[in-house]
Amino acid sequence: MSSPVNPVTVEIIRNALIAVADEMNATLIRSAYTPIIYEMKDCSVALLDAHHRVLGQSAGLPIFLGNLEACTIAIEERYGREVWAPGDVWIMNDPYVTGTHLHDMTVMEPIFDSFELLGFAASRAHWLDVGSKDPGGTIDSTDVFQEGLRLAPVKIVEGGVQIAPLTEAIGRNSRFYHGAIGDLGAQIACCHTGAKRLPEIFRRFGPQTVLDARDEIFAQAERLERAFIAAIPDGVYRAQGTIDSDGINPVEVAVKVEVVIDGEEMVIDLSESDDACTGPVNCGATQAVAAARVAYKLLVDPHRPANGGSFRPLKVEVRDGSVVGAIEPHPVEWYFTPLGLLIDLVVKALSEAVPERAAAASYGDSMVIFLSGINPESKQPWLHVEPTVGGWGAWDGSDGEDGLINNVNGSLKDMPIEVLETKYPLRLRHYGYRSDSCGHGEFRGGVGVEREFEILEDASMSTWFERSCTPAWGLAGGWTAQPPDVVLNPGGPDERHLLKCANVRLSKGDVVRTKTGGGGGFGEPAARDRDAVRADVADGLISPYVGRQIYGLETEPNQDSHE
Amino acid sequence: MSGFRVAMDIGGTFTDAVAYDESTGQYSAGKASTTPGELSVGVRRAMGNVVQDLAEVSFAVHGTTQGLNAFLQRRGERVLLIASAGAGDVYQIARGNRTELYQVRYRKPQPLVTRSDTVEVRGRLDPSGREVAPLCPEDVVAAARKFRDGGYSSVAVALLFSYERPDHELQVFEVLRRELGDDVSISLSHRLAREWREYERTSTTVLDAYTAPIVRTYLEELSAGLETDGMSVPLHVMQSSGGIITARSAHDHTIQTLLSGPVGGAMGGVSLARLTGQKNLICVDMGGTSFDVSLIVDGSADVSTEASLEGFPLLMPVVNIHTIGAGGGSVAYLEAGGLRVGPRSAGASPGPACYSRGGTEPTVTDANVALGRVDPSEFAGGEFALDVGAAHSALADLGAHLGLDAQSTAQGILDVVNAKMAQAIRTLTVEKGIEPRDYSLVAFGGAGPMHAAFLAEELGIDQMLVPRFPGAFSAWGMLETQLRRDSARGFPFPHATADLEALKSAFAEMGEELRSQIESEGVDTESVVLHHAIDARYIGQEYTLTIPAGSLEQLSHSDWRTRMKTAFDSAHQSRFGHSNSSAPIEFVIARTTGFGDLGRAEPSPLEQSPSGSDSESRPVRFGATIHDTPLVRRAELAPRSRMHGPLIISEATATTVIPPGWRLEVDGYGVLLAARVDEDPEESTQP
Repeated sequence: MSSPVNPVTVEIIRNALIAVADEMNATLIRSAYTPIIYEMKDCSVALLDAHHRVLGQSAGLPIFLGNLEACTIAIEERYGREVWAPGDVWIMNDPYVTGTHLHDMTVMEPIFDSFELLGFAASRAHWLDVGSKDPGGTIDSTDVFQEGLRLAPVKIVEGGVQIAPLTEAIGRNSRFYHGAIGDLGAQIACCHTGAKRLPEIFRRFGPQTVLDARDEIFAQAERLERAFIAAIPDGVYRAQGTIDSDGINPVEVAVKVEVVIDGEEMVIDLSESDDACTGPVNCGATQAVAAARVAYKLLVDPHRPANGGSFRPLKVEVRDGSVVGAIEPHPVEWYFTPLGLLIDLVVKALSEAVPERAAAASYGDSMVIFLSGINPESKQPWLHVEPTVGGWGAWDGSDGEDGLINNVNGSLKDMPIEVLETKYPLRLRHYGYRSDSCGHGEFRGGVGVEREFEILEDASMSTWFERSCTPAWGLAGGWTAQPPDVVLNPGGPDERHLLKCANVRLSKGDVVRTKTGGGGGFGEPAARDRDAVRADVADGLISPYVGRQIYGLETEPNQDSHE
Repeated sequence: MSGFRVAMDIGGTFTDAVAYDESTGQYSAGKASTTPGELSVGVRRAMGNVVQDLAEVSFAVHGTTQGLNAFLQRRGERVLLIASAGAGDVYQIARGNRTELYQVRYRKPQPLVTRSDTVEVRGRLDPSGREVAPLCPEDVVAAARKFRDGGYSSVAVALLFSYERPDHELQVFEVLRRELGDDVSISLSHRLAREWREYERTSTTVLDAYTAPIVRTYLEELSAGLETDGMSVPLHVMQSSGGIITARSAHDHTIQTLLSGPVGGAMGGVSLARLTGQKNLICVDMGGTSFDVSLIVDGSADVSTEASLEGFPLLMPVVNIHTIGAGGGSVAYLEAGGLRVGPRSAGASPGPACYSRGGTEPTVTDANVALGRVDPSEFAGGEFALDVGAAHSALADLGAHLGLDAQSTAQGILDVVNAKMAQAIRTLTVEKGIEPRDYSLVAFGGAGPMHAAFLAEELGIDQMLVPRFPGAFSAWGMLETQLRRDSARGFPFPHATADLEALKSAFAEMGEELRSQIESEGVDTESVVLHHAIDARYIGQEYTLTIPAGSLEQLSHSDWRTRMKTAFDSAHQSRFGHSNSSAPIEFVIARTTGFGDLGRAEPSPLEQSPSGSDSESRPVRFGATIHDTPLVRRAELAPRSRMHGPLIISEATATTVIPPGWRLEVDGYGVLLAARVDEDPEESTQP
């Protein structure tokens, strides 16, 4: 294990490379135009070496983990290594390379010092609109061409000069021109930061020292992961679940996970998953690999930043043409719906083998509501798009969290009622926890939420609520949670349930009630601490009825319960 | 009449006091042990150590940690929360976000009030303040009954759209007063933060309800105690905004004092900028186990309009203090065959190996001790002796696994931690759109001056300042501040069409309110200065920038809109690196700040004191080389003297390290000014 470089220097270089990624990320977040980037953290940056291995990566959105190198590799495979030139910056969003959807633009820059290629700086960020058939994205697309502008890798900056005609063409393909141009500028600035800092590290320490230190840094990461996997009992672990539908056809789509632990190595095999779908729930293989890596990281090493030595003990098998191996022209707008499930399933498969890091399932998907219309006075269109929080899974030792955003939405905050009502002709009549929606258990899952919108002017609604067929499961005897629901005009003669819908017309006075699911429970409900049950009843998170029937709580006659 | 201006700042171990003698223009510092449980005892003792006769005190200011401690230890009041019907869970949901992304076991901060401590009352306003449903007094009466029956001690009221129209909250207040009497503490959201975003406003209100009664009692006791001791002037309290108010008006604006302690250091930076003419400063406050950074930009503190405390948002002006997870307590250890330093900290217990409190792993402090950079007998003012041998053996044990001797291991730990701290500072400046090379570094706290030169080298900074009394710098900073009151109103209108008459009357109304508040604190009307500003953003953006709006007369000029747009674009350019002159902007919140001048300490140059002649020296390792390094007592450094590094300067509260390649100048006020002379300093990290 001895490296030619002093251990102090190795550690300083390791921190310096992570710091470059942090600085790139700070540059991107600081300059980004849209809240999707700076608040949802729907972005990722990486600093790569000349062989496309990760030197440093910021902890952006987990499902972007460790796959930016697929883009630089694709360019080099297509055009040869001599295509890289100082001062160039490339852009692409082809989903069959990046693995995600067209909203995610990847911008990358080769890093040179005196004409020697040292590595790459890359960033990926979600753009608000890339010219799909419907504003902000599609619910019911059947091929990629309905989903917006698709860019094969192309130079957006050449020899240090941004190419104005191409920039303009990209901007005009977005419904939010200023946002697109602004976010592009932020991503270029982010890459420039990396391209400036990496050569400084090479000059300060000397190229050979940096390369030797890099090898030692990778070796350290690999040693840690191998040691952890070696501690997991060998075996084959499986889990499967379904997503409700593909958005077009009412068919359940199965995602199947097989995890093989063999000594110090792990294989995550996704190839038994269903074939790709007509609707936009497919994702490219690159992103399926990234999601498998997220699940692996959650279980193996959640806290250390990933580098080129990470994931070496992991192999991911994906079948081209499957729902997680999309090929042209499969629609991919909701690519993360099977991925959120995939991550939960890997955790489930290994929950008994790695109990100290596992938890029961969360409510799952983004649970998005789109409400839009035209302001009758200004004639300006308005559009409100918002994911909804829900319950997370319990684990051995703690209840799951109530009302928390799902794992693919980063650190997104819900929109305040006062902001929502000021901006849109909507009234949020109710926003609160949904009683009894949790998976019960010795430790209960978190509860979901209920929101009730009153429509104040004629509008149009689309929804994407998922996981009604595979609601959050429990572990170790813990119960499954309640699934989501969306009800139009509840209790009225025209009541309708609309988990997924596209462009439904709403009239003034209509009411939409959305409900998200809870998280799964852990352990048998009968084993739950009596005081905890009483506190939940007092807080109204579970009803007195559930307290009695499921938890066996004796009723206290003087209990002044909620109605 | 000349007398003493005195500041008192409570720390974890010591309560510091700094006094300025108006007749001589000189400062003195003193301290007393902090007295947990009854903080006012330590404060009065510390004060007695710098001023003999409290009747001579002409001005007194205090940074209190009472409210913050009550919060941190969760010893606050039992709060009943009153919310709008349909929105009672807003405080529990807490906007549903998470701050750790790789974590399936995430928990939000545990709310200070539970769901069953929350009562919803019917009554609803719309965004324009129009009443959709009238307030239901019966619901408030029921809430009052719950308060009496449930053993609550404080009420927080936060209703939707109260920032637009406070009527419903005021009606709730009237009913509660009638039902509960005058002694119950009632916090109203629109009085504390008249801004939109109900969760943030509710959180602010709950924090006020949770801590305010405790702070009020404390300030009353302290004021009474100081009066008994002979003080005849009103006590002032530091606010989180960097301004001060009288203890009497802190009674109604208690939440504003919550983060008052650490802010003193940043305000000291502001004074130092004025004193030295260096207007751009990065202030580094490093204690035994903590590391805080604040920025002074163009002579002013960096103030935000909101803050977060253990995950709970607070809508109030706060001087930004950034806590970085690397400091003296950071532990060095092995991982996968590699050396790591931090973020794990040994804290104060078990503490560094040299504390002899059971710590066996080497820390940054141990490395400093082993390299001879700390005088083991002077540490923490000689309060307890350090065990150099324990530091050595902890370092030797770790070094054996790395193929390094104890000294090289110590040097390596410092190189790693200095690089990490510098990187954290750099990332912070990148976020702010600042280039660290354009700044000077100010170092204070017990350990700040020991590391600052190395941080400066990593950041490409050529100048470092160490103020007098670096261990009591926060108290010193408080002596220099102005009275400050803040007010805000929602003003969510597009820049192009906003009604400027309405904006003008909002500013005028807030201005009148603040002016009368400041006058009631004993400040001349003439000296009150009002600043108007407005938060704006590009339409479609979420984050805002606060742009100065000029005077009310300027608001009437025809080119006001154009000037605001230009000012916004240019602020956006410097903060975010790009701007868009063709993109429309909108206003969000109008803000007015009132300042009242209370005079300030104008320091006089120090008297020439005899330079220490019997200079002692010690071998100290810098990089790979051992230098014979003079040890100097700070008190013996003559003003305007010049020296060259390496040097180690010790004083009661701190140790300053001036490495080779730096020269030192002591200015007329006793501030240490160090500058790099060597453009290409010895590369301390090369093997």
